[in-house]
Amino acid sequence: MSDIRHSLLRRDALSAAKEVLYHLDIYFSSQLQNAPLPLVDKGPTDLLEEFLFQVPKERGAPPKRLTPLQELQLLEIMCNYFQEQTKDSVRQVIFSSLFSPQGNKADDSRMALLGKLVSMAVAVCRVPVLECAAFWLQRTPAVFCVRLARALVDDYCNLVPGSIQTLKQIFTASPRFCCQFITSVTALYDLSSDDLIPPSDLLELIVSWIFEDPRLILITFLNTPIAANLPIGFLELTPLTGLIRWCVKAPLAYKRKKKASLSNGHAPNKIAKESTSGEDRDCHQLYSKLHLSVLQVLMMLQGHLTEKNLYGRLGLVPFDHVVPLVEDINRLSDELNPLNASKEIELALDRLAQALQVAMASGALLCTRDDLRTVCSRLPHNNLLQLVISGPVQQPTHGALPPGFYPHIHTPPLAYPALPALPAHPVQTFIPGMTFPYRPIR
Amino acid sequence: MSALCDPPGAASPPRPPLSAQELSQEVKAFLSGLDPVQGTPLSPPAHARCALRLLRCLPPARHAALQHLRGLFDDQVCSHLLQRESGAPSPSPKACPGAEVLQEARRALAELVAANPRAWAPGVAAWASELMGQLSSKYSGRPGVPPAASLNELLQLWMSCPATRALLDIYSQCLAAMVGSCPDACVDALLDTSVQHSPHFDWVVAHVGSSFPGTIISRVLSCGLKDFCAHGGVGGEAAAPGTAGDKRVPKIASVVGILGHLASRHAGSIKQELLRMFHESLGSPREHHKATVPFLLQLALMSPALLAAVSPELVDSLQPAVLNQLHQHFSGVPRDELEGVVGVVVHLLCHTSAGALRTLRFLLATAAPASVITAPGPALHEGVREACERLLQLLLLHLQKLVHGRSSPSLAEGPARPVPFLEALRPHVRELCLDTLRMERKRCLWQHQLLALLAVHSAPHGAAEALFFLLALARSPEELALAPQLHAGLRAVLPDPLPAAVGAAVAQIHAGRLPEPQLAQLLRNLALLLQQPQPRDGDGDAGGGGEAAALGAALAKHLPDLAQLLLHPGAEVAEAACRLLAACPLPRALPPAHLLPCVRAAVHRFFAGLWAGEAAALAPGVKLLARLSSVSAAAAKAVLAQLVEGALGGRNAELFGGTAEPPPGQEATAPVPPPVSLLDTNRRFTAGLNTSGGVWSVFHAGVIGGGPKPAPGGGRRGAEELSRNTQTFLSLVLRCCRGSGPAVGAEAAKAVAAALVEAVCPEAAGAELSWPPEELARATVERDLRILRRFRQHPLLFPLLRLVAGGRPALCYCSVLLRGLLASLVAHWDACRAASTLASPWHLGASCSLVALLAEGSLLPPVLGNMHELFPELAPFEVHLLLLSVWGYLRENSPLPQKFTFQPELGAFRRDFGRDGDVGKHLAVLHSVLHRNIHRLGLL
Repeated sequence: MSDIRHSLLRRDALSAAKEVLYHLDIYFSSQLQNAPLPLVDKGPTDLLEEFLFQVPKERGAPPKRLTPLQELQLLEIMCNYFQEQTKDSVRQVIFSSLFSPQGNKADDSRMALLGKLVSMAVAVCRVPVLECAAFWLQRTPAVFCVRLARALVDDYCNLVPGSIQTLKQIFTASPRFCCQFITSVTALYDLSSDDLIPPSDLLELIVSWIFEDPRLILITFLNTPIAANLPIGFLELTPLTGLIRWCVKAPLAYKRKKKASLSNGHAPNKIAKESTSGEDRDCHQLYSKLHLSVLQVLMMLQGHLTEKNLYGRLGLVPFDHVVPLVEDINRLSDELNPLNASKEIELALDRLAQALQVAMASGALLCTRDDLRTVCSRLPHNNLLQLVISGPVQQPTHGALPPGFYPHIHTPPLAYPALPALPAHPVQTFIPGMTFPYRPIR
Repeated sequence: MSALCDPPGAASPPRPPLSAQELSQEVKAFLSGLDPVQGTPLSPPAHARCALRLLRCLPPARHAALQHLRGLFDDQVCSHLLQRESGAPSPSPKACPGAEVLQEARRALAELVAANPRAWAPGVAAWASELMGQLSSKYSGRPGVPPAASLNELLQLWMSCPATRALLDIYSQCLAAMVGSCPDACVDALLDTSVQHSPHFDWVVAHVGSSFPGTIISRVLSCGLKDFCAHGGVGGEAAAPGTAGDKRVPKIASVVGILGHLASRHAGSIKQELLRMFHESLGSPREHHKATVPFLLQLALMSPALLAAVSPELVDSLQPAVLNQLHQHFSGVPRDELEGVVGVVVHLLCHTSAGALRTLRFLLATAAPASVITAPGPALHEGVREACERLLQLLLLHLQKLVHGRSSPSLAEGPARPVPFLEALRPHVRELCLDTLRMERKRCLWQHQLLALLAVHSAPHGAAEALFFLLALARSPEELALAPQLHAGLRAVLPDPLPAAVGAAVAQIHAGRLPEPQLAQLLRNLALLLQQPQPRDGDGDAGGGGEAAALGAALAKHLPDLAQLLLHPGAEVAEAACRLLAACPLPRALPPAHLLPCVRAAVHRFFAGLWAGEAAALAPGVKLLARLSSVSAAAAKAVLAQLVEGALGGRNAELFGGTAEPPPGQEATAPVPPPVSLLDTNRRFTAGLNTSGGVWSVFHAGVIGGGPKPAPGGGRRGAEELSRNTQTFLSLVLRCCRGSGPAVGAEAAKAVAAALVEAVCPEAAGAELSWPPEELARATVERDLRILRRFRQHPLLFPLLRLVAGGRPALCYCSVLLRGLLASLVAHWDACRAASTLASPWHLGASCSLVALLAEGSLLPPVLGNMHELFPELAPFEVHLLLLSVWGYLRENSPLPQKFTFQPELGAFRRDFGRDGDVGKHLAVLHSVLHRNIHRLGLL
């Protein structure tokens, strides 16, 4: 390796980078022939860091920087390389040796280059790169995934108007990447602050993807060998939790944003007001659509789980993530004046109740109703939620299941109400003798 | 590749997004520079268009595209400059494909920035500013490009170049888009570029700054502050600019540069912004607020313009509450850091010029409050007072270093560097002196010290001015002591400033800038200083003769000017001037042109003193005249002539019991004191009227326009007063006549004699001395009568004549008077029909006095000279005869000065009567009369 290094040192930044890639290819191809899982030793990694990510080895040495033009050339070379590399395994190994975070200072330039590479691949539609990136997203800690997601969102949603169409097209090229992208985006935009509300372009993109084919959500789950216990700190298998969070929190988060912009003294002029309110309305429709898709996917899930023999063993919607979601809703509804935001609170709670109910019924959420009751006890009152957390009398229909789990979705104790079919006015009927004040949902 | 083959105009924005295939072709074409279809090289405009397409469609390629566009702009600038050099008329933009692409690029960037300012503006702004910096540096050396110093030409050149113009527009658009939310990034880019390409890039900052003054000023400041904090600005190294972190200096330097550039147009907003920062930082615990004060100090340190803009208002805003806050703010700062801050503050104070006096007063008032009773409002913390005191002491020390350090090493090196603080105080010397003279405890010390420094700094003029003000404004001996103290301090380092100070004083007097009481005060102060005893041992001052001597010498040069003051209408001033002159040493050789006005003024002053009737007021006048007369013989003559003329002429005669001659044919009307006296005026304008005496000084009836002279005898005076006045006058004349010797000098007496003749009978002034035969006297009866009348009017004449007689042979020169008087008396006694001479007492007295006079003046031999003792006992006829015999004697022995001989052993002239003819024949009448009256004259 050191003789290679010496020869590389004499070259200019771009050709040295090219050279490194070339040597790396030879190295891993030969390794893979010898062993199915090659050992990635220190030598090639160091070379990469020095000549591809420009981290100076000697202290005080002036860092060789690629000019933006050279960088673009390099990106093109890499895209072409991955495109032309026919062996899947070599491609994977090289990709991960290039871009797996090492926890050193090269990580920043590593991530920057990865962002540009993936962005480039999206633009010029290099499927192999996208597939590699999808795998990378699966095997990399969530913090780095979020950075990649942000880079892509910046490039395609913020920078170039209209370029979202380019991103949209990759749905057909690499659904796998789309799925992972959605997961990382939902991890990034958790609506915890105004900045973390997804841009409307992005939202529209994702909704259009999912609405077109809700199974997109499950692609990673279905195509991955599942270990029963998911590793911590990585992206989840499906974006389900994140999407539920979006749908549930969205009404409250948008309301908060509107309130903040009003109280900031930015009295919006009329046109801006109209356009934002129009945009908001569009968003609400999108979230509605998204919610419906999520519920549909959840209902689909039971079959897949049973197929994989994971029913009751794998919580795709972990209870641990439901708890903070409920707390967030609680805090948000406290924050917003309940008098002003009653409609939004109601909507959020309805969606929460629906999601919880369906998730529990499909076996995605593994918990008892008692757990739910304690978690949800402090939420504002909502009829549907109350109904969900009190639940029907336990029927241990499934012997295989531990008691307390409610598997059936298709035989709910109450008819599953479709939202649009609701009466225009709430019917307030109070039936005495019930153990809890029962009001039919609106 | 259709996209590449499109005609250039077709690159319109609303095109469908390129497919992935097309995009990858575009990338290839862009990178290789080759047309993918034909494989021929792309023309630069086509290449640039390709870059623009990528910029629009391929986010990861945007940096590369922007980099490529740099080349486009560079080419355009280059071709523009070439065109300028060649002087060719610029072709229309359409003709040049490069220019067209340039406009496309500008539009494309503008669209992108407009579409999403938050994402694009920072990057594009950084790119544009950096490119502008590079271009303006790169082409700075070109022959057609003006030097960096001429900002306006540079601005004109670059604004006329389409490429740089476009870049500037792009940058402005970015900034405008971000102004509402967060323009920090854009401004940072500007600042960084400004640091890198400093002088050549200034035109950009100037243009942007004047387009967005508010934003640029506040952002530049906040960027600077952030940078200052980030580089440990809170640390004490702010004190010494040399040791400050090397990385911070450039950034703050560029902040200073930009603000300095904007200061000319937007000083107000800069000032406001700085003050706002200062006040905001107080009482805030946040880290970067802690650093604000050091940061502002550092800024001020580097830019005098900013300092000047801020300091006056800052001082105004330092109310007790603010000061207390400031104290609190700094109470937690470690000691050496504090030292640093104080050092900077002192340095800045030295460089404050605007509002220096206000600043100084503020410091003084805070360091040593005038009274214990504080103004309403929050009480000032004791620490603040102490801090101010320390600040003042350090300031004085620093100023001292500056002032004394600058001149000593080499004067030849050129003009000394001025200290702005002192420079600014220069016009306020008067206020400073006034403050100092208030003698408020500590303050006085400081102020005095400062005054000394100021004087040295602005020597020689300033030193003189300071001394002058101290002299003019002091009102008590203690206050007066400050001036010599200052002078002593200054003499150590400067050539003696006293002459200049006196000169300044005279100039001020001439300009009439001093009000009367102050003028009098100044003169009195000077006199006091002159009279101060010299407590020195004297060895050190052997040459100079001490302070008083130096002052005297300085004053002596301005004698004529000071003499003018004797005629000042304000009595106080005139008196003070008199005192001063009396104490002032007179130069040996005084030119007559100076002497005569001085004498005239002094005489006038003397009589004015007599009129006032105060002995104390009189003394300086007497002393002054005596000293004047001792200057030279000519001076003595002049003094005497003036005195005599003054005593006999005009109203002054009343002082001595005389009456001004009654105006003929005018009854006594109410005397109207003339508002303007031609004589006085003439005295003041010393030109003219230099002929002592003569016909021109005679005023018979009064001044034209001023009405007649006041009636004689208007004020009756007591005999005692009259005799006192007479005594005073005579003793003065005597002193003047005596000169150095004990006896009346002959020359002086002669002068008095001449003056007398001219005063009494001007028309006879030229008459010969020898006596005519008695018969001839009839021809001059009228004149003789007038002379007699004059003697009647002026009792002073006889004592004066006696004085003249004392100075033999001076009386000879009065012979025309004596002759006239004698002739009139002879005629009177001839015509007198009374039984005894006692019937006409005045004539009797006059006869007696006359004879006694003649004897005294050695015009008559002793025997004849004593006969006046008989007169009261005789009949008028007998007196007539006796007087005729006197005439006879005199006729024969004419009273000529030649008959006197100087006798060195006596030091005086003597007449030897033995050489004259026989006295006997003139004694015959006397003998007869004696015989006839022997019964009454037994006593003889």
